[in-house]
Amino acid sequence: MSERHHFIKELEDLKLTILNMAALSRQALKNANTAYLERNDTLAQEVIDGDRKINALELEVDAKSLKLLALEQPMAKDLRVILGTMKISNELERIADQAVNIAERTLFLSQYPPLEPVASLERLMETTDQMIDLAINAFLDENADQAIKIRHMDDMADQYTLEILQAMILYMVKSTPATEKRILNTRRSIQTIIISRCLERAADLATNVGEHVAFIVKGINIKHQKVDFKE
Amino acid sequence: MTNTVKFSTRNLNFFYGDFKALEDISFDIKKNEVSALIGPSGCGKSTYLRCLNRMNDLIPGTRVEGAVTLDNEDIYAPNVDVVNLRRRVGMVFQKPNPFPKTIFENVAYGLRVNGVRDKKILKQNVEKSLRQAALWDEVKDRINDSALGLSGGQQQRLCIARALAVEPDVVLMDEPASALDPIATQKIEDLIHELKKNFTIIIVTHSMQQAARVSDITAFFYMGKLIETGDTETIFTRPALKQTEDYITGRFG
Repeated sequence: MSERHHFIKELEDLKLTILNMAALSRQALKNANTAYLERNDTLAQEVIDGDRKINALELEVDAKSLKLLALEQPMAKDLRVILGTMKISNELERIADQAVNIAERTLFLSQYPPLEPVASLERLMETTDQMIDLAINAFLDENADQAIKIRHMDDMADQYTLEILQAMILYMVKSTPATEKRILNTRRSIQTIIISRCLERAADLATNVGEHVAFIVKGINIKHQKVDFKE
Repeated sequence: MTNTVKFSTRNLNFFYGDFKALEDISFDIKKNEVSALIGPSGCGKSTYLRCLNRMNDLIPGTRVEGAVTLDNEDIYAPNVDVVNLRRRVGMVFQKPNPFPKTIFENVAYGLRVNGVRDKKILKQNVEKSLRQAALWDEVKDRINDSALGLSGGQQQRLCIARALAVEPDVVLMDEPASALDPIATQKIEDLIHELKKNFTIIIVTHSMQQAARVSDITAFFYMGKLIETGDTETIFTRPALKQTEDYITGRFG
């Protein structure tokens, strides 16, 4: 019996493509956050332009996966790696889409004076980035336990998102009655709420990546249910 | 589907002379299920299959230890009529092996051996068996032609019809499609799905995809031992043991 060297090499290549995609998606979100915080239009535009490359990688993962499924008829963990990889690439592509969305809001917001800083927003940015980093490392190390850790962090991300929403509502309510300024404040607040929503979505997507990793490693689907691997 | 155990094997050891080909096999096969036996060449899967209708008795110098029961009856008990056992536990081999007789006579053979003389009953049973083997429509107009004129796939289905004619409980299949082209293979696989309604089927196959497609239960043999057994879906998506994983993903040989 052959030891399927060729197949194993192609599977490794597929994983490398995912890691490449993960690095680009994570960087896109980091850059979008930096562009927002530093009001950097050039960087925001780079995020928007860079999305094409991530989309292309998603197509590449789909094509490679389809080929391996059709030609190699993988079983057991090999099969799970390919199915999991296809799903992870989809999540990563959507994380990058959230980065683009934040960059687009940034281009709008940077035309106007900054809002008062909201501490929760920077915390949300940090948490989301850490979750993506953990998810990527979970995939690299085939560590299913990380999925549970990422889930817990997602609860924090949800909390920060709520705090941002509350802060923005307060800001809109408190705004000066002068009509024109009030409209501007409201517009800026809403854009900021959208940014927080984007980050919160990215955190959800990172949670999904962790769940796909758990599926690859353990062969069980932990979506929509409580699981503790250490039980 | 019932959960009645058809074949039960307990601590089965099998020897070819001094060579222990099977070691401590314990395994239940349930009624109306398809069980697939997989594993690399020489792992003991065909030897195990042949223990189930005592085909190994025909090989000199072999010895069996442990228990094999069919419907709770020990098939190795001294009073067992081996011919009757093989009627209840039919077998289909890798290479189609029709007799050099007509299609009709091939299927009628077992019935005649069992003393059926009535031509009407013979005719009815031959047609029924050929229909069960999904061959009737292809041969009904040349039932008295030689079986050797059939294609390989048709010959194999004829052999299945021949096995079914004596109304066995269990059909053992030793790589029944490995000599056939993909279309003939597909027909055999479809047939297996149909047959399990009425029969218990145990199939040895080298094709993991085939085991995955046709069986309810998969048993993985390696070096004479039964390593892992379970629902086919579980075995092929998340086997419990690394040895099984390595075999089905082609990581060792």
